[in-house]
Amino acid sequence: MDGWLGVIIMIALGVGFAAVMIGLSLLLGPHNPTPEKLAPYECGMPAVGSARERHSVKFYLVAMIFLLFDIEVAFLYPWAVALRDLGWAGFVQLVTFFLILSVGYVYVWRKGVLDWGPAARAGRHAARRAA
Amino acid sequence: MFSSGIDAVVPMLCVTLAALAVMGAEAFRARGEQLPLGGLGVVGLVGAAISAVLLWNRNAVSFGVVVADNFGLFVTLVLLLVALLTIMFSSTVVRRDGLPAGEYYALVLFATAGMIMMATANDLLVVFIALEILSIAVYVLTGIRRDDSRAIEAAFKYFLLGAFSSAFFLYGIAFTYGLAGSTRLDRVGTYMAAQSMSGNPLILVALGLLLVGFAFKISAVPFHMWTPDAYEGAPAVVTGFMSTGVKAAAFAAFARVFLSVFEPFSGEWAPLVWLLAAATMILGTVVGVAQSNLKRMLAYSSIAHGGYLLVGLVAANQVGKAAILFYLLAYAVTNLAAFGVIALLGTREAANDELRDYAGLWHTRPALAALMTVCLLSLGGLPPTAGFIGKWYIFSAAVSAGYYGLAVIGVLTSVVSVFFYLRVVVMMYMTDRPAAIAPPPVSAVAMAALVASIAAIIALGILPTPVLDFAAQSIATIF
Amino acid sequence: MLLTLSWLVPLLGALVLLCVGNRDGRRDALVRWLSLAVTLATFAVTLVIWARFDAASPEFQFVERHAWIPAFGIDYFIGIDGISLLLVVLTAFLSPIALLSSWGSIERKVKEFSIFMLALEAAMIGVFVSLDLFLFYVFWDAMLVPMYFLIGIWGYDQRIYAAVKFMLYTMAGSVLMLVAILGLAYLHSAATGTYSFDLLKLYTLDIAPQTQMWFFLAFTVAFAIKVPLFPFHTWLPDAHVQAPTAGSVILAGVLLKMGTYGLLRFSFPLFPEAAAYFAPGLALLAVIGIVYGALVAMVQPDMKKLVAYSSVSHLGFVVLGICAMNMQGVQGALYQMLAHGVSTGGLFLLVGMLSDRRHTRLISEFGGLKAVMPRLTAAFMIITLASIGLPGLNGFVGEFLIMLGAFRWDPRFVVVAGLGVILSAVYMLWMFQRVYYGPVTHEENAALPDLRPREWAAVVPLCAVAVVMGVFPTLFLKPMEASVNAVVQRVQVAQTLRAERP
Repeated sequence: MDGWLGVIIMIALGVGFAAVMIGLSLLLGPHNPTPEKLAPYECGMPAVGSARERHSVKFYLVAMIFLLFDIEVAFLYPWAVALRDLGWAGFVQLVTFFLILSVGYVYVWRKGVLDWGPAARAGRHAARRAA
Repeated sequence: MFSSGIDAVVPMLCVTLAALAVMGAEAFRARGEQLPLGGLGVVGLVGAAISAVLLWNRNAVSFGVVVADNFGLFVTLVLLLVALLTIMFSSTVVRRDGLPAGEYYALVLFATAGMIMMATANDLLVVFIALEILSIAVYVLTGIRRDDSRAIEAAFKYFLLGAFSSAFFLYGIAFTYGLAGSTRLDRVGTYMAAQSMSGNPLILVALGLLLVGFAFKISAVPFHMWTPDAYEGAPAVVTGFMSTGVKAAAFAAFARVFLSVFEPFSGEWAPLVWLLAAATMILGTVVGVAQSNLKRMLAYSSIAHGGYLLVGLVAANQVGKAAILFYLLAYAVTNLAAFGVIALLGTREAANDELRDYAGLWHTRPALAALMTVCLLSLGGLPPTAGFIGKWYIFSAAVSAGYYGLAVIGVLTSVVSVFFYLRVVVMMYMTDRPAAIAPPPVSAVAMAALVASIAAIIALGILPTPVLDFAAQSIATIF
Repeated sequence: MLLTLSWLVPLLGALVLLCVGNRDGRRDALVRWLSLAVTLATFAVTLVIWARFDAASPEFQFVERHAWIPAFGIDYFIGIDGISLLLVVLTAFLSPIALLSSWGSIERKVKEFSIFMLALEAAMIGVFVSLDLFLFYVFWDAMLVPMYFLIGIWGYDQRIYAAVKFMLYTMAGSVLMLVAILGLAYLHSAATGTYSFDLLKLYTLDIAPQTQMWFFLAFTVAFAIKVPLFPFHTWLPDAHVQAPTAGSVILAGVLLKMGTYGLLRFSFPLFPEAAAYFAPGLALLAVIGIVYGALVAMVQPDMKKLVAYSSVSHLGFVVLGICAMNMQGVQGALYQMLAHGVSTGGLFLLVGMLSDRRHTRLISEFGGLKAVMPRLTAAFMIITLASIGLPGLNGFVGEFLIMLGAFRWDPRFVVVAGLGVILSAVYMLWMFQRVYYGPVTHEENAALPDLRPREWAAVVPLCAVAVVMGVFPTLFLKPMEASVNAVVQRVQVAQTLRAERP
């Protein structure tokens, strides 16, 4: 039972802290509700229209690239844990893995997937027209 | 676990490095600049081939999960040949169709790396990873003509059904792991050998799921539905690549898993594979007769050829195992060359892959017509071609294992298949085209690849001994 | 080495031709002379072989053996005995004649035509000299491809249908033989531990009667289709009629003999017990074929079709002789094979000449040609009589010997077969009468040119051989005697030995 005491205190502290903060904001905060503020997701986009709205393909690209690199970077964590056991062989393997990732990253970068700004886009258009 | 060196993965590494180099070069390519990306790939493939030859007879093991035994190396060499010929054919096609060269070659090379991994994997999970590496690359290659709705449809179907089959396969791996406590083939094999008498139903579940997974990949009937669509929709070069490379890699893994690990249970799976083989041969040829599109026809033909390979698997004797290897080589070269001809006859606007497009080809392109004829005769199993020796080998395996029924089905279906191969010959040689189209010029590289494949087909048909011995040796080291 | 040359020369000739640039047919003449020279050289090689052949020995001669695919016990193993010797000579004899006959009628793609003809000749000779079953099968199947192209490209209106039918029929038969060959090799490995496709070793194999039945059927169906034995004959009229003249000559002259040769070389000696069991049935089919072929030939309006059906009839005799499996029967069958090759080859040649001139083969389109083209008429007469089996010409000896042999075996077959002999006289002579006698009924026929020198060169050797074969049959019977005796002995000994076995 001893071992669990700390965990329970931790949970209690966490829940308590959250409850206190929410309660305080309810008591102390100003209340000027607007429709935007009452929207379920307040992230800058008005939550109206069809749920099947088309998004720019950029979103998907970024999502996929994020997914790929994120998952692959997750490999680094177990390596860090087992760093000493794996030794130099593990190090070399991880570096190889990392290099492969970097090539992908460079490729993605050079292909303009990360260029969002209108300037970059205009530049690309100009180049395409020139070609 | 990481005790041994990296020798066994060197061929794979060479190909991967080449792919990375292609990607890098593509990334830093100036707009409008033409780079010899295919040549870069060839360098990697040649390097991989050299390393594979050097690994011969050494039975190198890397990380405990990749074994470069002679069986794997033989298949590796076949796969490298497939990739090499594909790249040589592609040089014309990529430029003509305006395909994204960097991506195209990189994907071909990544797929090749996955195939090699699959052929040399000694762990079910590695087989799965390899399967995914090659599959994802091939899905994208199928749909690489983004403006072609048929290609997109093909890619999507292929992707969905491929994912479906991967799930089966993964589920089978899970069951195997649950039973044996390992995914390493040697350990699973030890477990299975000990269990051979127990009659544990879960073993059969694992076996069945793995079988279905493999059957999808080698497009055995009734798991073949994706094949005609995918093969028809993809660019012809890619079809050639995936109908030979993917099949060879999947068969290598199939043979390795079923002939070594599940050997004790051959009494259970042999009848099933017998049925698969018979159904595959019959449906592949019978439905092939009704096709008017050459790519679709060859898709059914390649299904049927998968059936012949399964015959070798059922026979499972020393001859049968070596026969699979020889047949893989013979089929790979022949089928690739046939699709190469189709690819070279297309134009950017029209694929020219309908049967009637071949009318009178003899008059406009006599050399291509002759080369195509040799390919078709080899696919039909007529001497003196590689296809004949391959079929001879497969059927003698079946006969010596006592499977006369399969052998008879095999030879009869090959007669039926000759019928539809002949339809192409009839079109090319005996039908006059009212208004002949002007076929596009063929680049020297692609022509060299074609002539080399035809030379190989005939050489294998007349003097198969060195390769037969080679195949027999590579079998002798394992199983 | 000499025997290898006999099939290698035409093949090399084909390869050489492949390298001759002949765009737009500028070098047609060169190609024609070159291919003729190659076939003549081949004929010379076979004549040398004949001259050096030791007629007294029943053994295989000019034997060459090299390991080919040792893993399977496959050898490059060739040799000839009295049975195959004359068939090889016949093949080499008919090939230049067929080529000559095409000089007038084949005008497009001469180079490709010649290549296919030479490849065909190589494969045909290869079939006759192979003593390794694998090698035999390779040649047997390889032969289909050039023949297919010859019919399909240079044939008449229905050529594609005929070519595909020919190919599929023959292949369907031969693949079953393939399974049986593999089975034989497997039996050999079960008995001795090694695979072997060596015919001589397989002869000595002791095969269970039940297995023999299956294997015999598999082999025999392949050969029966090739012969063609009734009811497997339906490809033949199509193929013969649609093929170009040269193709018909080769098809009738040589290809059909492969079926009967196969029966004699493989089916009967390899599976003697099954042969004894099936022989009456085969003979029955043969006799039906004799009468049926003759009756159908009688009503044909098309000369080529008539000759084609007459082949069905004549080959029936050959099969009957083989089924009798005694000295006279088999020798007669072999003699009839040669005689039929010469006379039917000749008939197709002459019909082809008529059809080149008039672009029709219908009997009703002709009449009274005797006055217009007396030389062609004379040649046609000789060949027709030879085909009927008039004493003094080649057809007689074979038919007579076959009847003799069959009579000793089972007289009932002879009675019906005799009917075939009479009918053959009826349809041949009737055709001859309608085409050559009477008044000239069509104006186009009045000014047809007679034989040209080139055609002379093709026709005269045929007529000469027909006469020589009729007058000096010993010349041809002598070399085959010892070998035929050996085969008959082998089959009979095996049959009696095994009959005594419980």
